Amino acid sequence: MIIEIENLQKSFKDIKAVDGVSFKVKEGELFAFLGVNGAGKSTTINIISGILQKDGGIVKVCGHDLDKETEQVKNDLGIVFQNSVLDKKMSVYDNLKSRANLYGIFGAEFKKRLEEITELLDLKDILKRPISKLSGGQKRRIDIARALFHNPKLLILDEPTTGLDPKTRITVWSVIEKLRKESGLTVFLTTHYMEEASTADYVVILDGGKKVAEGTPHELKNKYASDYIRFYNQTEQAEKAASAFGLPIKRERDYLEVELKNTAQVADIFKKNPEVFEDFEVLKGNMDNVFLKVTGKDLSEV
Amino acid sequence: MNGKIIECRKLVSLIRRNTKCYFKDKFMFFISMITPLILLILFATFLRNVYIESFKSAFPENFTVDNRILEGITGAWLMSSILSVSSVTVAFCSNVIMINDKIDGNLNDLRVSPVKGTTVSLAYFISNFFVTFIVMMCLMLIGHIYLACVGWYISVGDAFMIIVDVFCGVLFGTLLAGVVESFISNQGGLSAVSTLVSSMYGFICGAYMPLSTFAAGLRNVLGCLPGTYGVGILRNHYMSGYLDALADAGLPSEAIEGIRASFDAKIEVFGTEIPLGAMYGILLGTCAVLLAAYILIVVFKNKKKKAAV
Repeated sequence: MIIEIENLQKSFKDIKAVDGVSFKVKEGELFAFLGVNGAGKSTTINIISGILQKDGGIVKVCGHDLDKETEQVKNDLGIVFQNSVLDKKMSVYDNLKSRANLYGIFGAEFKKRLEEITELLDLKDILKRPISKLSGGQKRRIDIARALFHNPKLLILDEPTTGLDPKTRITVWSVIEKLRKESGLTVFLTTHYMEEASTADYVVILDGGKKVAEGTPHELKNKYASDYIRFYNQTEQAEKAASAFGLPIKRERDYLEVELKNTAQVADIFKKNPEVFEDFEVLKGNMDNVFLKVTGKDLSEV
Repeated sequence: MNGKIIECRKLVSLIRRNTKCYFKDKFMFFISMITPLILLILFATFLRNVYIESFKSAFPENFTVDNRILEGITGAWLMSSILSVSSVTVAFCSNVIMINDKIDGNLNDLRVSPVKGTTVSLAYFISNFFVTFIVMMCLMLIGHIYLACVGWYISVGDAFMIIVDVFCGVLFGTLLAGVVESFISNQGGLSAVSTLVSSMYGFICGAYMPLSTFAAGLRNVLGCLPGTYGVGILRNHYMSGYLDALADAGLPSEAIEGIRASFDAKIEVFGTEIPLGAMYGILLGTCAVLLAAYILIVVFKNKKKKAAV
């Protein structure tokens, strides 16, 4: 296990920001922490990275106890904050160099690692350019390069794509995917984008400082999200058919959506009402449904 | 590699980063230089004659002297004012890197790296010292070019001591800025403190108006403030050569002493003259107290931040 957290506690005055959270992160996996703002995601990350002191619980990173081996833990992880922390007037090279130096990487060792990172993240053409002249996607690449410079075992990404345009988000994700594929890096991601969480190997959903659900996206969908069938015509007949089964119905402008108890129910409806199955699709429940079910909150509205 | 050597190299790297951040932003350098330069230009264009008349009023009747000495001593007096005030105001202004790091979240980024909090704080202080000292040397150079044009009577020894005085003043300014600005975490706070210091400090240290022009009570109160001696040491070394030139021109020693007292080269507090050595002692002693306060604040804040960000 690369992260082991047991009964983590953190309060700010009367507010319990993290309330007894426990979870484990396996080596090499993409782990997603899902929750709305104030759910406790960033507080947990700040504790793991040593910015905040916990009130209680046990935190181990790569087998090192955070309380006893803080320096080792800091060397084991790299973090990309939600807001870029690059020195904007300085060049990419200077930013990387000052960061490397903080990890005791100097001289020939710096040059060697710079070559590796430059190749891995395709930075050669922008190395001498000031940060202020880079695009959003390029800046995010430099943020990731800085976090990876000391060769950490774990990369923490705190809402890395929040506020980025769709094109830049795709660029950032392709970089993360490339890293995972080529170096087998463990990635710990916090996000409130469902499509990002659904690509993770394992997801923990936080709400009000507490863990409310965990599992692989598939497990979570199976456990918490219903499947749906959408009828694009014959909607009146489809509504009658669904009502006969006592299933919840949602009418939209272009279609009628019927929530199924399980996927096999499609066959039952078809057997009794084959005429309504003219233009339809069966949809697997998604992470939005999971989140809504376990927290009672719709992420698109918070 | 030895852990302490690595920590020292980290410190050097942080100092380099902070200093580079400051000088890469040309606007910051411009802002630091602009106030003292405006003062110098205002003096040269509007106030020069007023100060020359003030010096002349200390001369006996019918005493005439080379205009270069008069122009020079008024310029030198003003330079001592500008440099002593700027060593504090520029230090407050150039500490902006520390404040910006708090605002932008860069401080958290530093704290997740394996570098000690004390190293980070020490780097802010040392880089602010370097930046302020470099800005002060630029100002001094501009001022000395002006003095060379109007009348240069400063000996090599005094010129060297002026650099030492600026060093002491910058040390005082950066430590004061470090202590005060440790409690600031936003741009508004920085602007408020910088404005307050810029507008007030010159008066309360007797740089803009000689202490001799104040009432005795206020003079004694201001004499208890260490900044007054930052001005005093510079006044001594800037004016010394010009006063010697006036003595050589036949100005009586009573008149020389009168000028020294009227223009703060000689400072009396509660009726006792403070010798030059004591001025250094007070200034550097205050630096030692400020350093101790800064260390305590850094240690306390590093513990507190971890518990409550």
